[in-house]
Amino acid sequence: MLISLCWLNELLTTDGQAPLDATDVGVALTELGLEVEAETRAGEGLEAVIVGEIRAKEAHPNADRLTAVTVFDGADELPVVCGASNLPPVGGRVAFAPVGATLPNGLEIAAREVRGATSRGMICSEVELEIGPDGEGILVLDPSWSAGVRLVDCVAGLQDVVFEIGVTPNRPDALGHVGVARDLGVRFSRTVRADRLGGVEAWMGASVDPALVQLDAPSACGRYRGFALESLAVGPSPLWMRARLHRVGLRPINNVVDVTNFVLSEYGQPQHVFDRDQLEGGRVVIRSATAGETMTALDESELALDGADLVIADASRPQALAGVMGGAASMVTDASTRGLLEIAWFEPTGVRKSSKRHGLHTDSSHRFERQVDHGDLLDAAAGRALTLLETLAGATVVSRCEVQGEVPPAAEVTLRHARLEGLLGVSVPPAEVSRILAGLGVGCVVDGEGATSVYRCDPPSFRPDLALEVDLIEEVMRHFGIDAVPVEPAPTSGARGETLREPLYARAHSLVDAFRELGFHEHIGFAFTGSRELERFGGGAAIERAVEVANPLRSQHAMMRQSLLPSLLDALKLNHGRHGRRVALFELGRTYAWPDAPVKSASVTAAIDATLPTERLALAAALMPGRHGPAENARALAKVALDALGRVGCAARTRTPAGGDSHLHPGVQAGLEARDAAGVWHPVGVVGELHPEICRSWDLPDSGDIFCVTLDLHAIPAGDHGRLSALPRFPSTSRDVSIELPEEVAASSAMAVLGRLARARAAGDPNHPQISASDASGREIEALEDYRGDGVPAQRKAMLFRLSYRADARSVTDEEVQPLHEEIVAEAMSAFESEGWAPVRR
Amino acid sequence: MSDQLSEQLQQLTEELARSEDADALYEVRVRYLGKKGSITALRRQMGKLAPEDRKAFGQAFNAVKVEAERAIETRRDALVSAAREADLARHEDLSMPGAHERELGTLHPITQTRRALEDIFARMGFAVKEGPHIEDERYNFDKLNFQPGHPARDMQDTFFVRPRSDARLVLRTHTSPVQVRTMLAHEPPIRVVAPGTVFRKDDDATHSPMFHQLEGLFVDRHVTMADLKATLYRFVGEFFGEGLNVRLRPSYFPFVEPGAEVDMQCPFCREEASGASVGCGLCKGTTWIEIAGSGMVHPHVFESCGIDPERYTGWAFGLGLDRMAMLKYAVTHLRLFFDGDVRFLEQFPC
Repeated sequence: MLISLCWLNELLTTDGQAPLDATDVGVALTELGLEVEAETRAGEGLEAVIVGEIRAKEAHPNADRLTAVTVFDGADELPVVCGASNLPPVGGRVAFAPVGATLPNGLEIAAREVRGATSRGMICSEVELEIGPDGEGILVLDPSWSAGVRLVDCVAGLQDVVFEIGVTPNRPDALGHVGVARDLGVRFSRTVRADRLGGVEAWMGASVDPALVQLDAPSACGRYRGFALESLAVGPSPLWMRARLHRVGLRPINNVVDVTNFVLSEYGQPQHVFDRDQLEGGRVVIRSATAGETMTALDESELALDGADLVIADASRPQALAGVMGGAASMVTDASTRGLLEIAWFEPTGVRKSSKRHGLHTDSSHRFERQVDHGDLLDAAAGRALTLLETLAGATVVSRCEVQGEVPPAAEVTLRHARLEGLLGVSVPPAEVSRILAGLGVGCVVDGEGATSVYRCDPPSFRPDLALEVDLIEEVMRHFGIDAVPVEPAPTSGARGETLREPLYARAHSLVDAFRELGFHEHIGFAFTGSRELERFGGGAAIERAVEVANPLRSQHAMMRQSLLPSLLDALKLNHGRHGRRVALFELGRTYAWPDAPVKSASVTAAIDATLPTERLALAAALMPGRHGPAENARALAKVALDALGRVGCAARTRTPAGGDSHLHPGVQAGLEARDAAGVWHPVGVVGELHPEICRSWDLPDSGDIFCVTLDLHAIPAGDHGRLSALPRFPSTSRDVSIELPEEVAASSAMAVLGRLARARAAGDPNHPQISASDASGREIEALEDYRGDGVPAQRKAMLFRLSYRADARSVTDEEVQPLHEEIVAEAMSAFESEGWAPVRR
Repeated sequence: MSDQLSEQLQQLTEELARSEDADALYEVRVRYLGKKGSITALRRQMGKLAPEDRKAFGQAFNAVKVEAERAIETRRDALVSAAREADLARHEDLSMPGAHERELGTLHPITQTRRALEDIFARMGFAVKEGPHIEDERYNFDKLNFQPGHPARDMQDTFFVRPRSDARLVLRTHTSPVQVRTMLAHEPPIRVVAPGTVFRKDDDATHSPMFHQLEGLFVDRHVTMADLKATLYRFVGEFFGEGLNVRLRPSYFPFVEPGAEVDMQCPFCREEASGASVGCGLCKGTTWIEIAGSGMVHPHVFESCGIDPERYTGWAFGLGLDRMAMLKYAVTHLRLFFDGDVRFLEQFPC
C-alpha cells in the first residue's frame, strides 16, 4: 500500500504546527505496526521547472519532426527545440526546464545545438517530470497560469515522500490514507480534519428513488448507497489529481474513474460509477448470479458466473461482480453523461471467494475481503466522492437510494487496566489509555480509577479487528510504544522439571553425533517422494501404505517417503556428477506410512492421533566409493553402524539376515542387532552393498562401490549404562583354530555355535578354566581371518578363530586348557557338520 | 687372590666395553657375578685362606663386587642414553596422512543451528518437544484461531494429505501445533521449544516447500510481554552476539494478541567502536533484520486448549531455522541446504 506524505498532511489538523516530517512519519509507521517497506522521495528537482509560455513556433530548418519554439520564462524569450507533436498554440503554457535544472529522472538540462539550432532549455512531458505515465507528448498546462511561476507552486503535492507500507490483514482501516492519518494523529497529537469526515448530508435533499437500488441478497450486502448523477462531463482530471494518483501507483483514466480511485485511496472505501444509460431500466439489482450467466469485466475477461457470485445487475444481466470488478458494458466512457455512483459494504468471505474463483484480485476486492466500514466512513467517502464529481466532472445528483442488509453487530468490549499492565509488563497512565482509545475512534467510558480502571469500550465500525480485550491492549501497546515495555524476565515458578529431550530424540541426537564423528556428512532431504521410488524400495506393500499428498507440487513429490535412501542416492548422484569425490552422507529423518490398524494411545490427543499416519524416525547412511574392496568397505560401514550404536549404549552385532533386504546385494549384506538391558537382541537395521539393479536405475556406477546402512530408531533398545563386573585377577590364555567352511556361512553364525558350546562347559567352580573374554579384546571368541584362495576349494573359506580361557581364582595352565579347547572344537565340528557345512579342520 | 680379583674386574670392564645391548650386559653379569660367576667363585676360595688374611680378602672382594656392579650400571646407563639419543635423532613427517586416517564428518548447518538454539533455550529452562509432521487441520489451524476462510487454509498455500478417515489432514505449515498438543497435555507452567520440519506450498528461489522452524512457548501466571522481550534479547545475544539490539514491531498473527515481528540489529554492518549498525546489503540498508514472529498467546488459543486465559498468560514466538542458518553461515541460497553437495556441507565444521 502506497501512502503519500502530502496527502497525510492534508488530512491532519496542524493546530499551527509544522506539517509532519518524513523521517518522523517513517519511524512512527513502523512502530505502529505499519511497516515501511520502502520510502521514495518523489519530485526532487521539480522546483527548477517553471511555467513557460509559447511565444512563437516554427518548423526546425533542418529536421521535419522538430519545432523551433520561443519560450517565455517570465523574464526572457528563449529558443527551444522540441520534438513533441502536441505543442499548444502560441500563448499556450508548458512545463519548462531551464538550463541548469536537473529533472527528477536525473537529466541535466544544458544549452545545446540541435541540428544547427540552439536550444536553451527543455519542454517536458509527464514522464520526464515523473508526475504521470504519459510520455507520448509534452505536458500542456492551464493557459491561465503565469509564465515564470514554479510548477510546484501551481500544483500542490508534486514534491512528496511516498511510503510503501505493509498492512497486516487485521488492519483494513489502514488501507486508506484516512486510517493511516488517524493512527499517526494519535502519535503526533493531531486529528483528522472534520471536513474530511463529513457525511452525505448535503445530498440528502435529492429525491429518493426507491427503484434505483433493489437488494435481493441482504446477507451478502450489508449496505448500498446509490446516487443517480446527471450532466457528467467526462474528460481528463486536473493535473493535481493525476499527479496524486500517479504518486500512489494508480493510473489516471478519466475524471469520473479517477475520483473513485482517489476516494478509494483516501478512505479505503471502494466505489464504482456505472454509465446509467447502459443499465437496462436505469437501475441496479443486488443479487446472486444464476448459474450460466456471463459477464465481460472491465479488463475484458469473460466471467462465467454461478450462484455463489454476488452481482450488481441491471434489469436483465450482471453489470458488476460485486466488490471485485465492474462490467465492460456499463463502464464510464468519454461519451457518458448519466451515472450511478455505488458505495457499499459487501460481505468479506463472499468477495474473497468470488475474487479467488475468477482470479481477479483488485484494489477493491482487497479491501472488501478485509472488511470496509459500513458506518460513518462509508458516508464520509460518499460525500467526498460526490463533492469531487461535482467539482471535477460537473455532476449533479438527481436522485438517491439506500438499502440496508445484514452487517456485523457492534459489541461492547471491556478493558481492565490491571489486565493491560499484567499482559504487557509495563505500567501505563490511565489517562494515556483513554487518550489513545479516543484518538482511535473507540468510544470509551471509564469506571474506577488508576490500576482498577475499567474501560467500557465501543469500537468503531471501521475497526472490525477490535473485538476482544486483548485487541484493545494491542492498540494501547502500539501507541504507548512497544519500546516502553521493559526487558524483564518473568518471576517464574520454574520449569516443569521434565527431561530436555524425549528419549527417542536423545538417542537420535547421539547417533547423529556418532555418524558425524565417524566421517559422515549430514544431509537433509525432502520428505516427499514419488510412487516409483516407493515401489523400488518397498514393493507393492509400500504403495498400499503410502501417505499421499492431495495437492503436490509435482507428481514425483506426490507421496511421503518410507525410506531415506532415495534422497541419499539422489545426493550421491549429484555429487558424483559434480565432482566425483568420495562421498559419505547420512540423514536422520522421518518416514511416513499408514499403519495396518489405527495406533491407540491414552493421551488427550488420542482421538486425533488415531487418524494420523505413523511417522517413524530413521537414520540412513550411504558412501561412495569405498576405500577398499567391497567386502572390506561393507565391513567398515557395518563397524561404523556398530560403533554408532555403541555410542547410544547398546551392545551391537551383525547378523546375516534370514530373509535378505531387496535393496542390497544379496551376498553383501548383514542385519544389525542391538541388545537391550535384559540381554535380548533386537534387529535394528541392515547394512551392505547397494543392489546393482538400484545403482543402474539411479544412474549410479554399479561397480560394487556404493554401501549403505539403515537404522530404525524406534527399534533400538534403551541403552545400558553398564554395571561393574569384577576385573579378572588372573591372566587368560588363548587357543586358535582354523576351520574350513562354506563361503555363505557368516563368521557370526559359526561364532554363535562355538560360543554356545564353550559356555556350556562353564563350571561354577572358580578354579575351573572356562571360556572368557580375554583381557585384551573384551571378546571371548574372535574371528581373525577369512581366507579364500590357494589351498582352499572354491566357494569355501578358511576361518581362523581365537578362543580365550581363564579361571576366576587362579592362573590356568596350558596343560588343562588344551584338552578343554580340543573338546570344544570337536563338539563344534560335529555341530557344523549337522548344520550341513561340511567343516574341515585345518 | 687379590690379583685374581683385580684381573677379573679388569676382564669384566673390557667385556662391558664390548657389550652393545641389555642382553650382552646380562650375560656379562651372569658370567662374573652370577651364582657360578668367576668373581663369585673367588669368594668361595676364601675358606682356603689363613684366618688372619680372610678379613682383608673379604673387604677386597666386596670392594671389587661393588665396583663390578657399578661398572655394569654405568655401562647400562650409557647404552640407554645412547639409544635415547639415537631415538631422539629420528624425524617423522606428521604432515603425511596416517594409515588409519578417518576424516571428521559434519552436522548439517540447520542441525547445528537447531542445536545451538535448543541449548540456549534449555539453559533458560525450556524442554524440547516434537510433534507429527502430518497434522489434523484442527491442531494446525482451528485451535490456533485461524478463521475458517483464512487464506493459509487454501490448497494453494498448504499441502493436504489424503486421509483414511473423515479427518482433514495437512502437512503442518508451522511448528505451532506442538503448542496446542503441549497445552492440551499439560497444566502450566509450560516452557517448551518445538523445532522441526514444516511444509508450505511455495517453491521458488527464496522458498522451499519444506523448511524448518523453532517455536517457543511459555505459559504461567504473570507472564508478560516484558519477559518475551527479555527472552528474545538473550537468544539474540547468545546466538548472534552480545549487545545487539532487539526491536519489536506490532504485527498480526492469528494465534497471538498483541502480536509483534521481531527484528534484531544487523550484526553484519555493526561498527565496533560505536556498536551501532550502519546499513548493508543484508539488512537492505535498514540496520534491522527480521528474525521472528511473536506475541502473547491469544485467549481463543488458550480456551481451545483448555487453559483458562484469566488464570494464565503466555507468550509464543516462531522463527525460521533455515533463515537463522543462512544468517549465521552467510548462506546465500536456500536450495543449497537440501542438495547434499559435500562441498557445501563440509564448509560448516562446527
